[in-house]
Amino acid sequence: MNNHVRHLREQRGWSQGDLAEHLDVSRQTVNAIETSKYDPSLPLAFKIARLFRQPIESIFVPGKD
Amino acid sequence: MVRLAHRTYDRRIMIAMTIYIIVLVCVWPLAKAASEPLPKIGYALTPVLPLFYVIWIMAQKILRSDELEQRTHLIGLGVAAAVVSILSIVSAFIAAAGAMTIESTSVVLMWIFPLMMLSYGAARSYAARHYGVSACDEGERLPQYIRFIWAAALFAAAAAYLYLRGHRGDAADFLFGMSFALAVGGSYLAWRRWRQRRANVE
Repeated sequence: MNNHVRHLREQRGWSQGDLAEHLDVSRQTVNAIETSKYDPSLPLAFKIARLFRQPIESIFVPGKD
Repeated sequence: MVRLAHRTYDRRIMIAMTIYIIVLVCVWPLAKAASEPLPKIGYALTPVLPLFYVIWIMAQKILRSDELEQRTHLIGLGVAAAVVSILSIVSAFIAAAGAMTIESTSVVLMWIFPLMMLSYGAARSYAARHYGVSACDEGERLPQYIRFIWAAALFAAAAAYLYLRGHRGDAADFLFGMSFALAVGGSYLAWRRWRQRRANVE
């Protein structure tokens, strides 16, 4: 799955550490999500969507598989 | 639940392991000298107390981790359980066949916990790398190889103390073995770190 988390974070001028603090996860987890190496659980995905005030499907885009 | 800071975790583990070594050097040898069964059991089980604390603090760390960290912990624990289970059953069959003495069986049992920790750490590190993260964010804590070398030095000092005092038994051999294993692990981590840094420079 692809996502626009990095773009949204940079729009707000936040570092990965700042976003991690907002989401109550580690900075490395934010990095893994941004690089699409890890797909977050539904509760975390909703938390990200709420934080950026966007629908979840506009942030997370299904990949080819 | 508030996340447990790496530094707090490292400090608590280091304190617990130092207490473990002190107990193993000062209290555990009394178990062999004690003649009454109750004090013998008491002395023999004293080193287990700091290990219980280590397990408790590890459980706290996992409980307070985020979902990706919990996943890597779970993979690590699963692999460690598989490795230890297989080696335990292999040892049990060998011992049941009478190919191993009671003394060597106790040495095998003593190695179960360190082996579990070692395979847990290695599997977790491998799983974390799969997700593009490090099992330990070195920006927030002491480099892993330094912690390994520190622990190796601690175990080596305790083994040397026991050898010099003439306690050449299971405890001294165990400490020396742990020290050697940690030194090998630390050297590998230092080499890997050096290789990564060189690759980054190039």
